[in-house]
This record gives sequence, C-alpha cells and structure tokens, in this order.
Amino acid sequence: MPEKNANTSLSDRLTAIAAIPVVLFFRLFEAPFRFVQKIGGLKAMPYIFLLPNLAFFGVFVVVPLFINFSFSFTGGTNIFLSERVYTGTEQYEFLFDCGNYLDPQSCREDRFWKAIFNTMTFVVLQVSSLVALSLVTALILNRKIRARGFFRAVFFFPVLLSPVVVALIWKWILLRDGILNAFLVSIGLERILFFISPEWAMFWAIFVSIWSQMGFYMLILLAGLQAIPPDLYEAAEMDGTSPERVFWRITLPLLWPNLLVVVVLALIKGVQVFDEVFVLTGGGPGTATQFIVQYIYTTGFASSVQNFGLASAASVVLGLVLFVLTLAQLAAVRRKNDV
Amino acid sequence: MTEIRLKQVRKAYGDVEVIHGIDLVAESGEFVVFVGPSGCGKSTLLRIIAGLEEVTSGEVEIDGVVVNDIAASDRGLAMVFQSYALYPHMSVYKNMAFGLENTKMPKAEINQQVRDAAALLQITELLDRRPKALSGGQRQRVAIGRAIVRNPKAFLFDEPLSNLDAELRVTMRKELAALHAKIGGTMIYVTHDQTEAMTLADKIVVLQGGNVEQIGKPLDLYNTPSNAFVAGFIGSPRMNLLSAQAERSEQGGIDLVSGTHRIALPELAGIAPGDKVTCGIRPEHITITHQDSADLTVTVEFAEQLGGETYLYCSGGGVADLTVHHMGQLNKQKGDTLHLALDRSQMHVFGADGAAIVNGIY
Repeated sequence: MPEKNANTSLSDRLTAIAAIPVVLFFRLFEAPFRFVQKIGGLKAMPYIFLLPNLAFFGVFVVVPLFINFSFSFTGGTNIFLSERVYTGTEQYEFLFDCGNYLDPQSCREDRFWKAIFNTMTFVVLQVSSLVALSLVTALILNRKIRARGFFRAVFFFPVLLSPVVVALIWKWILLRDGILNAFLVSIGLERILFFISPEWAMFWAIFVSIWSQMGFYMLILLAGLQAIPPDLYEAAEMDGTSPERVFWRITLPLLWPNLLVVVVLALIKGVQVFDEVFVLTGGGPGTATQFIVQYIYTTGFASSVQNFGLASAASVVLGLVLFVLTLAQLAAVRRKNDV
Repeated sequence: MTEIRLKQVRKAYGDVEVIHGIDLVAESGEFVVFVGPSGCGKSTLLRIIAGLEEVTSGEVEIDGVVVNDIAASDRGLAMVFQSYALYPHMSVYKNMAFGLENTKMPKAEINQQVRDAAALLQITELLDRRPKALSGGQRQRVAIGRAIVRNPKAFLFDEPLSNLDAELRVTMRKELAALHAKIGGTMIYVTHDQTEAMTLADKIVVLQGGNVEQIGKPLDLYNTPSNAFVAGFIGSPRMNLLSAQAERSEQGGIDLVSGTHRIALPELAGIAPGDKVTCGIRPEHITITHQDSADLTVTVEFAEQLGGETYLYCSGGGVADLTVHHMGQLNKQKGDTLHLALDRSQMHVFGADGAAIVNGIY
C-alpha cells in the first residue's frame, strides 16, 4: 500500500508540473479578455469573440463592396481609385441607355442586355426544371424503394464536385469527338456540334447545371418530406384519400416552406451562374450563353481595354438583384420556421 | 353496430413474429381495451384491424366479412392516433371535413355533419382555428371529432391520452366514457395504462410479447387473474408477488415459506410440498395486526401519507418489496416494525409457470 501511495503521489506531481505551461498559457491568453470584461462588463464579451470574423468579413467583403461601388462612379483604365476619373452616374446611364429594353440590339451596351436576357432565359428554364426534377426525385427517393440509400448518394454525388470539374467532364462528353457523338455515330446517327448551335449550347448549359446542383435541392426537399409525420398519411389513408389528393392537399402544402427556400436559393444561384458555363461553352457560340457574371468578368478583366468602371456598375446592378432575392430567401426561411 | 373478430392472427416482420396467433372478439357496441407493456403488440394489433398493417396469417372479420384484402379506407373504421395526426395547415373545420370531401358528399351535408360533431364535442368555437392554436385536450377532441364525423362502423384509439398531462387525462377519460355511452358504437382502445383500461373498458385484453394473457371484464381480471403477469399488471399499486416454497405444515395443511415468513394455508389442490409458487396479495388485502396472528413481520421503508389513505412500502425477512394499503391516516415512519395479516379469501397462488392455481382461499 505505501508503495502505491508513493506512485500516486509521484504521478500527481508530474501531472502538476506538466500542467504549469498549460496554466501559464491560459493565464496569458485570458489576460486581454479579463481586461475587456473589467472595462466593458460581460456585455462586451460577445463582441470580442465576434471581432476576428467581423474583421475578416470587413476586409474581404465590406471594403471591396465599397471599393466596387466607388469604381462604378469612375472611368478610365487605372486600377488605383485615387487616380481614376470621377464620372458620376455615366456608367449606369451607359448601361441603361436603351431604345427598347426588350430589344438588346437597341441598347448602347447591347452585350449587357444580351447577358441579362440570356441569364433570365437560363434562370427561368433552369430553376423551373431544377425544382421540378428535385421534387420528383425527392418524392421517389422518399418511398421505400430498393437501394434507396445508394440512389440518394448517386444523386447527391455531383454536388461534391467542383463546378470546373463538372464542366470538364461534360465537355469531354459533348465535344465534337466526345463520347456522346461517338455513341451517336456508332448507332448510325450524325454527329451534332453541340457548342456551335446556340440552342444546344443553352440546353447543355442548363442540363449540366441541373445535373450538378439537383442533389443539393433534392436533399433539402427530402428532409422536408421526412419531416412530415407518417401519421398524417395514415390518417389520410383511413379517410380514403386518393394518392393525388394526398400529394396536392397534404404533401405539397406541408412541403411548401421547403419548396420556397429551394426556389429562392436556386434563383440566387441561377443569377450568379458563371464558372460551369464559362468552362463548358466559354459563353458561346458568340454570346449565346454569356451570362451577367461573365459579362462583368469579361468587361472588367478579360477584354483588351479593362473597363473596371462599367464592370463595377454592372455588378452593383447584379448586387441589387441578389439583395432582393436574398430578402425573399430570408422571408421564405422565416415562413418555414413559422410552420 | 359492428362486431370485430380476429382469428389466429399472426404478424411477422421478416423472420421475427410479433403477434403469435391471436383470437378475440369485440362484440357490437363494446368498449374493448388492449393493454400491455411497451412492445407487447397492442398497437400492431390495432393497426392490423385498421388495415394499416397486413396480417401474415389469420383472418380479420368485420361483421362476418373477412377484410384481410380490403383497404383501410374501405373497412369503414375511424382511428384516433396517439399524435392526433391533425393536418397542421388546415383549420379544425377542414380537418374534420377532409375525410368527408373524399366521399364527394355535398358541401351542405359536410357542413352539417362537421357542425353536429363539433357541437357534440363542444368545439364549435374552435372550428376556424389551426391545430397549433389548440391545447392538447382540444386537439384530442378535434381528433375524435374527425373520427365521429365519418360515422364509422367502429372507432379505433391508439393511446389517445398518452400525450396529455395527468389531470387532463382523467378529464378526457371521463369524456370518452361519456361519449361511448352517448354514441354507442364498437370501440377498440389501446393503452399501456391499466387505470385507463380499468375505467373505460367493457372488456380488457391483456397482451404480452404478442400473446393474449387474458381477456375479461375489468373486475374479473382484477379478482381472478389467470396468471402472475396479469395479476401484476392489472391494479395500481400492483399486486405484491412473493416467491415461496410449499412445505407440509405441522397442522396438516400447507405452509408457503417466503424468506423467514411462513404463510399457513389449508390443503390445496394443485400445491404439493416442495412446489415453488408465487403468492399474490393486493396491498388493500393486507391488514396490520398483532405479532401473534401475523403472517409477515416487516419494516417500513417509506410511508406515503395521502390524507385519506396511506401506502406503506416495506421489506424484511427475505421480502424485498411489499406494499400495504391502509384506508385513512396511519402514523408510521421508516424503520417501524409492522405485523401483517393476509386476507386468505383474496390471496392468489401461482405455479412455477406463472399460471394461477387458486384465486381466493376459503
């Protein structure tokens, strides 16, 4: 017994010695927090912990936002704001100088309006198809079908891929000598030059973005479907409710908040579309698949004359659209939480 | 009025059989309660009757018609779920009307039926509210209203009161009994609460492990349990069950020896010296007596003074847990010694297999 006591006491001592640097570190680490708490009280503490994130957000989001906003009121090619020429609202006037807003050709900056029209076409077709397909997939994968987990994983997998990887995979499939054309030729059909036809290019831009994003929205809807208590369906079954009526009167209304969130998120992401389509089609043929973000990128960085002012003005316009959509998203989430 | 009959009903999930061949009848207009511990198969049995689960073998008959292959909606039954299963996005009115709308009933008629049911359950003023704006008791009434409005052949209740607090449960229990008296109709009610079973049932079906342990009227089950499980399950507080061994007594009868206690009985058919038995006695059938006439001498572990009655939880002499009920107040405390006499006419003896050998010794 005494030997055991001696061992315990030695181990205690070693533990105490090992703890000294840890305790010292925490004492030093705590010092500024103790100081702030002494000066500002407990209420100041949350702000201290928020400070690193706020600083990061400020430097990389808020400051660039203001710089961008300032750039939109300047002209010239100089990159330093202090050396740029103040032009007032000239960039905005240039963007919005149109004979007829429904006809991009009548606008001074027809590329901007073409990009807006392309984006709107893309968003309407992509979001509606994306939401419908996600919903149908979620409904099917919510049923007790064989290999349900496997299919859920298969549909979700593309979400994990980088947009550039997604675009490269599909480019490899769709190019003149890609595997899809090889297949068409092998069954005796003619080769289709998908990226030469504006309609085909738009179709594949929409298809690929749906393929890569559907899993994410499917997951949100699947979670929504699984949150509907099974008792409700059993009560409906006892009531002799037809499957169609169950879908329209029970499933859809209860899924509606999730569906609203999905629609608004898909809208926001649709308006921001760039990387996938840029790698897949390069915005072509011509400007057939050039969307608003690509227009901003090209105008600001990828043309021979880098027009930062115009690009900034266009991005402020895009920012306003996204702001409105984000408000809609917040409203949708709030409504979802209320149900 | 509807009769529901189960014949050798079995239910298995894969290789696991959970209902092992049950036969029972719910007579027309009867209030039948399925009671048993969690996992005994009572809800599964109810869902089989409802048509929400298929039987693996056996027959479910409603009014003499085998309904095994008839869809839940066509069986003419209404079910009240434990969670109430009210549609949260619909008003109370819409919830009650939903099932009738499926039958393409004219709107005026639906309106009349919903309002009649609402009046019966005193929820007319709640018709425009959504379920989330209702209390637990109100939701319960709406769920019952949704069942009544369909004018079903029989009502099925799946633990409908278990989400309510104790006080509301008592109130709703009375209301359910009153409702049954008012509208009649066959009702099958699932609960794990034996008090609900005792107070509501015309007939209790005690289930355990997918088997029926006993079927009978509440007091029949209470007074003459067919086995130790039913004896222990029915009644609150539960019956005291003492493990004992039978020995020949010097007077020629049988002594049940439990620990250091010796309970003298007359010669009984079915009990021979050396048999291992369980002696059952309800707390209210034990009286405090003098040392000379005592069957058991124990020590009070805990005294529960309820004012009008007293419960004493005791142990000692090899008996670990013995509950004694005394009408009125009794000034006893932890550590007090009690000499107890057991009322032989209310004593039960169960064999080693748990089956009752005798219910009441005269």
